[in-house]
Amino acid sequence: MSSKRHSILPSASQSGPKPPVHLSSSLTIADSAVLTGTHQITVHGESVIHPRARLDSHAGRVTIGRRCVVHERATIGSSSSGLASARSSAVLSSARSSMASPGVLSPTAAVAGSGGEAASQSTTAQAVTLGDYVTVEVGAVIEAGGTVVGDGTVVGVGARVGAGAVLGKRDLRHENHCTLTPQSAVPPGDVVPDFTVVYANGMRRTDRRGMVELKNKGLARQIEVLRRLIPSNPAKFA
Amino acid sequence: MSSRRAPRGEYIETDTGNKVARKATLVGTQHIMLGGKTVIQPDAMIRGDLVRTIHPSSQSGGNAAPQNNTAISIGRYCFLSRNCCLRPPGRFYKGAFTYMPLRMGDHVFVGPGAVVQAASVGSHVHIGAGCVIGEFAIIKDYVRILDGTVVPPNMVIPSFSIVAGQPARVIGEVPEGGHEAFELRDLYKTVGNNPQPAPH
Repeated sequence: MSSKRHSILPSASQSGPKPPVHLSSSLTIADSAVLTGTHQITVHGESVIHPRARLDSHAGRVTIGRRCVVHERATIGSSSSGLASARSSAVLSSARSSMASPGVLSPTAAVAGSGGEAASQSTTAQAVTLGDYVTVEVGAVIEAGGTVVGDGTVVGVGARVGAGAVLGKRDLRHENHCTLTPQSAVPPGDVVPDFTVVYANGMRRTDRRGMVELKNKGLARQIEVLRRLIPSNPAKFA
Repeated sequence: MSSRRAPRGEYIETDTGNKVARKATLVGTQHIMLGGKTVIQPDAMIRGDLVRTIHPSSQSGGNAAPQNNTAISIGRYCFLSRNCCLRPPGRFYKGAFTYMPLRMGDHVFVGPGAVVQAASVGSHVHIGAGCVIGEFAIIKDYVRILDGTVVPPNMVIPSFSIVAGQPARVIGEVPEGGHEAFELRDLYKTVGNNPQPAPH
């Protein structure tokens, strides 16, 4: 009898309102993913949302690009407080002033800072923006408040991206590719230059392997497999 | 918790002595093997649906008998704490992506909030709270992994090691006679629908 049961899934806590969604037809979204909030949630083509992933649009719009993988228990758009969108601009400006002080980052940090400034102008109502080819691993948290995660970024297991942080420059496409190692954290409003690897102990380095093409190809293959393994039910959220 | 459905216990107890919390999230149960006397606490998550899609011996005829498709096998007297997550590791094999099975021995303790993506975990292993075990790590027998450790992918941890840090390093050895501490039989009795107090 138990062999007939394909899973034990206690009902996911669908608390709060059902958000307006814009889901691509080529999306793979598990039945037990949780979409909640009041603003628009957009997920572009060929992305994969694992069971128990949580997309929260209470603080603003959530946009996920093409070929992203959001693992189980990852939270995108967690609102540390209800006023996240109002706060985000203040957080960003304070972060920018702290950027001026000499830190551990390379001189490109200043350039990325100006890029982030331009991005924040257009993303005031935007709680979280994920680029293309982004992987958000198990239990990672991306806080709401104008947070931008650039193309090809890997957010490791249990990592935390603070409100208003910008990973990679937004204007240059396919040139971001930051890596957050497991249990690492990016403070709110921080601007992280392209190809940065962030470690859990706060250290950072630049990834110069030049594996972008290979990584994207690998992710595409992984998504192909996941599409077969995860039963998708986008109709539930529409 | 003790509401109207009090007779329905918090745990499902199987014939082989497994105690699986009703609030545990098991995805793809047909690919999960429990050895017996294993405790799965509420909110633990096991991703059995991520099965191996490429088989090493699939040249002969292709779709013949259904292959042994276990994604996660767990031995006896394992203890999966709250909020932990077991998921099979994935990699490229013969040019295509596939998930590989995760094997776990007996008397393995997985701490609260730990995420395990190892290829194999031996017997008598203690994985502390909030640990992250990277993909295809191999953990041998009698290993203690302290709380909050991040074991990088593909790391092999030898027997009787004590491991800690981000990334993980071997910081010591399990002392002589220290392996009784890995025994989980008593812990098994302290949970379930009619738990017994820990003997002391």
